[in-house]
Amino acid sequence: MPGNLRLLGDFGSYNIKNNALVLYPLRQTTWIGDNPLNFIKKIFTGMKRDAESESPVVVEEQQPVEEAVSAPEPEANPGFPEVRHVLQIPAISESIFPENSPAVLIKAKPSPTGDQCLFTVNRPLMNGNSWYFPDFESAAGSPLAEALFCLEDVETVLVCEYTVTITRKDKTLFDWVPLAKEVGTAIRGVVQAGEALISEKIIAELPSEEEIREGIQKVIDTEVNPGVAGHGGNVTLMAVKGNSVTIKMGGGCQGCSAADLTLKQGIHTSFRTAVPKVGAIFDETDHTAGLNPFFS
Amino acid sequence: MPKVNTFKVKVQTGEQGMSEPVYFNFNNHKMEFKNVSGSAESGKIFEGDFEVNSFAHSLTLVGPESGKWEIERISIEYDCENEKPYTIQFGAVTLDKATEVNIWQDPPIPAFDV
Repeated sequence: MPGNLRLLGDFGSYNIKNNALVLYPLRQTTWIGDNPLNFIKKIFTGMKRDAESESPVVVEEQQPVEEAVSAPEPEANPGFPEVRHVLQIPAISESIFPENSPAVLIKAKPSPTGDQCLFTVNRPLMNGNSWYFPDFESAAGSPLAEALFCLEDVETVLVCEYTVTITRKDKTLFDWVPLAKEVGTAIRGVVQAGEALISEKIIAELPSEEEIREGIQKVIDTEVNPGVAGHGGNVTLMAVKGNSVTIKMGGGCQGCSAADLTLKQGIHTSFRTAVPKVGAIFDETDHTAGLNPFFS
Repeated sequence: MPKVNTFKVKVQTGEQGMSEPVYFNFNNHKMEFKNVSGSAESGKIFEGDFEVNSFAHSLTLVGPESGKWEIERISIEYDCENEKPYTIQFGAVTLDKATEVNIWQDPPIPAFDV
């Protein structure tokens, strides 16, 4: 038996020689269920394939397990009802504005958490794309954002097609009515002026969907998912439209009471740091769905 | 999540209907509707309601055990505690023995003109 053997407890031992994994299982071992050595092989061979797919991993069994006894295959339906797949279809929303109104109409809808407010306008603000203005400096050249940042309590501005989403500096205030009226007046003033709402430079430098998809997918794979995996969670990129992305949280994140925090402070920050030109980030997770969602 | 007092469902069936009872899943409890009228057969309208008096985690309309059920439109009237009654509409969906469709929506967030 070669040196540098690493023991695997009752399973036997293994060694790595010439970039090959060699397993030495115990003789005449009877396993109930799957042979653990097969599981170990899968781990090692899987890891090797990911790391260097060009060098195949040779697995030798010095003393092959004799006639491993496997438990019978579990029945397809061992007394439990079949789990049905829950379909999510969008609700049909009626238009919130009268058609062809000559006036600039704006509706404000504060979020349930009170940290942001969505303003919907009956005029397009940015066709097919979105843009996130994190601060006053980023608004330079964009009249709509400049007008909004002139309001004292505005922290960030997100413009997306017919909507503007505002976060406020003072997180202790829950009543949005006073600020919302100021925001409404500012938006109406800029829209009625008839000039371009967003800087030409921003429009000219908008990235392609493919650039956004590649960048966001890379962040999900290298930063976000390794981070949420510790809690059994995962994040999937569902769609890219213009520079707006839609994600879905799954596993331990779906239905979790901290999902909103993870989304806004973790995922948004990671996305915007790595892909600064990403616009709106939509979360289409249904936190009430599933067989065992976690509720606070 | 609000406490649902009652909800009333109205389902317009498309070309392919079904003759089985219509079930819903409330918080993973499969139940039949009360005060049923109409049917889920082709082109017909099914109506039913249920007095829940419980907090809504999930609410789905369950597909038939055999065949397919082509739904053209679903309309649900919710009466929740401390909320104004509200109605949610869903569009076309096809259900079968492996599927159910989510019909729960939180009460709409109040919006105001600015």
